Amino acid sequence: MRFPAFYMQSQMNLKENDQRMKDPLVKLAQINTWFPHEKNILGKVHSWIKAVDDVSLDIFKGESLGLVGESGCGKSTLGRTILRLAPLYSGEILFMGNEIGNLNNAGLKKYRARMQMVFQDPKASLNPKMTILKILGEALNLNAKIQKKEYLEQAVTLLDLVDLRPEHIFRYPHEFSGGQQQRISIARALATNPDFIVFDEATSALDVSVQAQIINLMGGLQKKLNLTYLFISHDLSIMEHACDRVAVMYAGQIVEVQDAASLFNTPRHPYTKALKDAVPVADPELKHELGILKGEVPKLSSPPLGCRFHPRCDYQEDICQKKNPGVSKTGRHNWVRCHFAERLWDQGVLINNKELL
Amino acid sequence: MKLHLLNEPADAEPNFSVSPEPVLHIQDLTVSFNLPRGRAKILEGVSFDLFKGEILALVGETGSGKSVTAKSLLNLFPRLSMETRGKVNFDGKDLLTLSNKALQAVRGNHISMIFQNPQSSINPLFTLGEQISRLIKMYLPEQIAAIRQKNNCRQKQAIQAIAKEKLNEVGLTDIARLCNLYANEVSGGMAQRYRIALALLSKPQILIADEATSALDVTVQAHILKLLKDLCKKRNTAILFITHDLGIAAQVCDRVAVMYAGRIVEVGPTKEIFKTPLHPYTRGLLKAVPHPGKTEQLAFVPGMIPDLVNPPEGCRFHPRCGHVRSICTQEKPERIRVEENHEVSCFLYAVSNEFKGE
Repeated sequence: MRFPAFYMQSQMNLKENDQRMKDPLVKLAQINTWFPHEKNILGKVHSWIKAVDDVSLDIFKGESLGLVGESGCGKSTLGRTILRLAPLYSGEILFMGNEIGNLNNAGLKKYRARMQMVFQDPKASLNPKMTILKILGEALNLNAKIQKKEYLEQAVTLLDLVDLRPEHIFRYPHEFSGGQQQRISIARALATNPDFIVFDEATSALDVSVQAQIINLMGGLQKKLNLTYLFISHDLSIMEHACDRVAVMYAGQIVEVQDAASLFNTPRHPYTKALKDAVPVADPELKHELGILKGEVPKLSSPPLGCRFHPRCDYQEDICQKKNPGVSKTGRHNWVRCHFAERLWDQGVLINNKELL
Repeated sequence: MKLHLLNEPADAEPNFSVSPEPVLHIQDLTVSFNLPRGRAKILEGVSFDLFKGEILALVGETGSGKSVTAKSLLNLFPRLSMETRGKVNFDGKDLLTLSNKALQAVRGNHISMIFQNPQSSINPLFTLGEQISRLIKMYLPEQIAAIRQKNNCRQKQAIQAIAKEKLNEVGLTDIARLCNLYANEVSGGMAQRYRIALALLSKPQILIADEATSALDVTVQAHILKLLKDLCKKRNTAILFITHDLGIAAQVCDRVAVMYAGRIVEVGPTKEIFKTPLHPYTRGLLKAVPHPGKTEQLAFVPGMIPDLVNPPEGCRFHPRCGHVRSICTQEKPERIRVEENHEVSCFLYAVSNEFKGE
């Protein structure tokens, strides 16, 4: 097993760390998810779409890790790779200390129930021909064969967990509103008694008021059931409410991992800063200036050489075009992938902008 | 990093108190659809003015009737299945009484619209170049003639010149290549820019943006918002900005109208709405917005949007309202002017006798 340097370092400091951050539930070591892009005449793939490229990440027990980035940066693919729903090209995925990266479908079966996923569109992820009892019962049956009487009881308990009423159990998905449907999806994910849940843009399709309800529900469930979350979203502003730590992804790579509480005020990577500046804040008094990020998201089949963000970055220098930056630690479990991480941080450039200084 | 200011200096903001000149006046717009299980009263007495050169945000939850309002202005629904009442005054005409043919002259020419998903509102069978030249031929025949006379060139070349100018205006470059592409070959941001260029070809007085940036990334959204704001100020075009994102309303719009279950519950200048929201629904909505930099639990409005086939009697918000009184369940609240330009439909602010007695 080969771990990057920052990872080894974090292992050495482990004893001093608090209990909660002690054991990673999910450990990703240099994972790659590549999809074939072009083949030559003999059928050999000569160009790949590198949706996830060299990602190493720890997700600790009981924490909720946010994963944020623009569309097409590979964040959903990373979530699906961890659950082994997308093909893993190389690298290692450790789930509770067990290597699951090389397992086949049969071997994965016993882990499937412990890792669940909640999708963006609740309407599309619930079978319209099944009642809520059947939807939940199907998931309950995965764990163990149980009696019909018992599973009605357990299904009602699940509905209670997500604040739905028992009489809802014989209804069909279309009879519910979007927020309620998302609650049912969460109940279904909880049915197998999982340790780890991936929320793939789970609140993006919902209204703000409903989104607030779902985020509060998720937080409550996490404490109650000691769950670990990976919360994938394109919306930076909900990260602080929903997550403990946030990983920022750009063009298949994670560029920054930072505590959610400090991410918005002290972003360390120019991309995080740009992403932050583009969020319209719901306060006209703030005179928040919408920052405009030049250029477009690179194609994952041919990402820019060197640092992937350099064509759009305002701090780029020669080295950025030649060498992909390594990882600089910014905290116990936090790091940033930038050549000038320290300098930019010392100058405080990322807080103000260059012209202002 | 070069930051572009979206917020214009204060003196550039339209001053309503001097000469409010509504370019669009909507009064008591009531729309109902016939459904198999009954008549759904989607809009009930929607009234607002859209002033020249301003950006008005129409915000509300899904199903509050924002899009229906916009679409019924231009009568984009099949008439058989619905009933529309009220007045939509534009340019001295009532749009609701116009025939389809007369309305067609208004659509696109004077009032144009951009939609949520840019790629699906562009015809996938024709290249972007073919589509824009068709519209240029339709809307700008004088300009084509002028260029032909000046440069002594063919019609095709004149159209190309105009297309280049119009597409450059919305920030698109490499026009020659772009014009040979199809809708699926361009990114969402580019497609939305192209749509905006098409919508603004005929120099409309009103642009309706129906969730125009909701499908885009925040970084692309920032580009589009800036573009819309700049173009609106430059050409004095009024924009009706339909959105569910209160952040956009706060940063881009001059005034905000909050909709709930087919009624406008509060209208006012953006700053006032965000600083001193009056209606309980507006307050609840604002508390639910995640604020970057704050980590406390999000508040939310309990309950959900009512079924519009059987809407609640009286104020439609009363089953979810924390300040509900007996009058709220019986009577519909009138629109009350609390301050200049700031109006609210709520009995909390009514100075009627019945309310005083409680």
